[in-house]
Amino acid sequence: MKTKQSRNSVLSRRGFLRSAAAGGSGAAMLAGMNSQAAAQSSDPVVVGAPLPLTGAAAADGIEFRRGLEMAADEINAMGGILGRPIQLAFGDTESQGDDVISSAGRRLVDRENAAVLISGYNFGSNSALPQVAADAMIPYLHADTVIAHEALVQSEPETFWGSWMYDPSEAMYGIGYLDFLRNLEESGQFTPPNRKIAIITGPIAYSINIAEAIRDRAADYGYEVSLYETVQAPISEWGPTLAKIRADEPGMIAMTHLFTQDQAQFMLQFMENPTNSLIYMQYGASLAAFREITGDASEGVLYATVIGALQDEIGMIFAEGYKERFGETASPNAGGQTYSALYAYAMAASLAGGVGEPYEEMQNRAIVERLQGLIFRSPMGTIRFNPQTQSAYSYPSQTDDPSLGLPHIFSQIKDSAQDGVIIAPSPYDKAPFELPRWMKA
Amino acid sequence: MTMDAVFQIIVGGLTLGSTYALAAIGLSLTYGTMGMFNMAHGVLMTIGAYSAYVAASILGLPLFVGFAFALLVGMVTGGLLHLLVVRYMLDTPRFEINVIVVTAGVAILLEDLILKQFGAYPFRQPVQLAGSLRIGEVTVTAQNLVTFAVAFVLISATAWVLLRTRFGRAIRATAMDREAAMLMGVNADRTFLHVLLIAGGLAAAAGVLISAQTTLSPAMGTNPLLRAFVICVFAGLGSVGGAGIAAILLGLFEVAIQYTLGVQYGFPFMLGLVVVVIIFRPAGLFGHTVVERK
Repeated sequence: MKTKQSRNSVLSRRGFLRSAAAGGSGAAMLAGMNSQAAAQSSDPVVVGAPLPLTGAAAADGIEFRRGLEMAADEINAMGGILGRPIQLAFGDTESQGDDVISSAGRRLVDRENAAVLISGYNFGSNSALPQVAADAMIPYLHADTVIAHEALVQSEPETFWGSWMYDPSEAMYGIGYLDFLRNLEESGQFTPPNRKIAIITGPIAYSINIAEAIRDRAADYGYEVSLYETVQAPISEWGPTLAKIRADEPGMIAMTHLFTQDQAQFMLQFMENPTNSLIYMQYGASLAAFREITGDASEGVLYATVIGALQDEIGMIFAEGYKERFGETASPNAGGQTYSALYAYAMAASLAGGVGEPYEEMQNRAIVERLQGLIFRSPMGTIRFNPQTQSAYSYPSQTDDPSLGLPHIFSQIKDSAQDGVIIAPSPYDKAPFELPRWMKA
Repeated sequence: MTMDAVFQIIVGGLTLGSTYALAAIGLSLTYGTMGMFNMAHGVLMTIGAYSAYVAASILGLPLFVGFAFALLVGMVTGGLLHLLVVRYMLDTPRFEINVIVVTAGVAILLEDLILKQFGAYPFRQPVQLAGSLRIGEVTVTAQNLVTFAVAFVLISATAWVLLRTRFGRAIRATAMDREAAMLMGVNADRTFLHVLLIAGGLAAAAGVLISAQTTLSPAMGTNPLLRAFVICVFAGLGSVGGAGIAAILLGLFEVAIQYTLGVQYGFPFMLGLVVVVIIFRPAGLFGHTVVERK
């Protein structure tokens, strides 16, 4: 674990305007509040970040850290949170289970005196960090993207009042994928070679829940599940799975096993002898590492995320600034998550009159109340919370108003040197769907 | 089951078995000759893989030079492991147990240093061959063929060195009875150094080839180390040739289970087979006696 003092205390006017735009509706609000605030203290606000900085999810963990660093620097340049600068403290959860995750979270509270915990996603049962936050009576913002979060907070709302998932649950992926396929068909953009879907999932509950959501609803959409395969992680030899796919060619392949490296190996081995199948990969393919490892074999792949950087004005300013700072291979899709979460927390804390320390229940509850009422237009779209599930609404599955939900975006990789292009949902789509080059028209 | 499916299982099994074999040879060598279960063997693979990456991607050297550079770095690291750590432990009581703990510590340290230097972001291994061969509906990549060929050559060469050369006799003599070997003029300390030099090189070669079929990451050696240990136990600890054959057999068995029952059952069934074999042949499939360092 290490503590990193934020850098760049001064931004140019142009830089400020750019970051204000990237920070969405939050930056201007924060700057306004800071200009009128008389700082109660100049002590830094410690934001604790328990992240998977090593292990299987490290590619994402590194981006989560970068997103926080970028947001902290921008917010500090605007005066911090009511005059108090943000200081980041990181804890490595090592892509491990509850024991390691819990230790990392507790160290951030006990040793670093973290006023809030912010993460992207972690593994385990997804109850370790909510428990740490509940014990310390501080807010915890995460993008675990699991229905287990909703079940947990609904089972004990008085215990887990501080835990908020700033994206929807993974159930949206299954429903959204089938909706997306139907829309592609109905709009005439895609005619499947047959009605079969091969589903490949992984060993963690998250991937399995998405796969089951597709499997259980496929018939309602007129599809048939021809293969349901669960793989181990890590996996490099895809021969047996590909042999089954080649023996009974599906029109669609849905990979919900999300590890980037494993998805990349699948794609490389698939392209040695491709079938006439549309390939959808859940999340992992959205990272630059996927394209870097896979090269040209990545072109044509579809991927989706319920929280990813949009390619509109706000999203592009953020993405450009992010890549300018962290390099062309950096992934704004992942970094934008924690970036947006820190902005959301900073706004809520400012609106509540200041940051609460650990065990200051009243002030931290006030922050949470402000967070609950927030409609924050981030580079990822609008974050608006459902107070019952303490998770963000998804557009279009849970609201038909794009200004009131986080868009479930579908992208297609068209050039392996570039991020995928958003092809759905409207109004965020930037290019039409194209039939992958390995498929027959 | 169609012929294509059978052929696919054979190709997949040989590919998987080859990577297992590569991972297992060096481990089997150090156990067979020194009674040393080297927990740093996995990180030696990682060091080899990253060395090839540095040579080919950062220094811009040709691929074969990158491979050779990886072997060199692996051997040097293996040698340093002996000179700085292992040789001070050889005469300690319960060497076999202590060395597991110490090499596990070294592995954690080295993995963290790699993490510090390269970060945890996964990279593509540049030292690999492109291209493939189609046989019916089954595709065999050039990299698969190279992996299989290198595994075969390294196992054969190691077995030949151990069984047919004066150097190999010195290693085996030291393994059987260190004091007697020293009385016969064998420099035991130097022999152990040579073993770790070879094991380091073998691990590095394995690391380059395994990372070519997966990706580079600081923890990439962990999974192959686990599999290598299982294979060494299955084959009979210390049996280098046996480890190679066992690796291929287990690879074929695992892929057949993956194809017929489902991918998630492959590794558990493989472990089940190992348990059954160990019950009936406690010294392993090819082991005659339990190797004991005196």
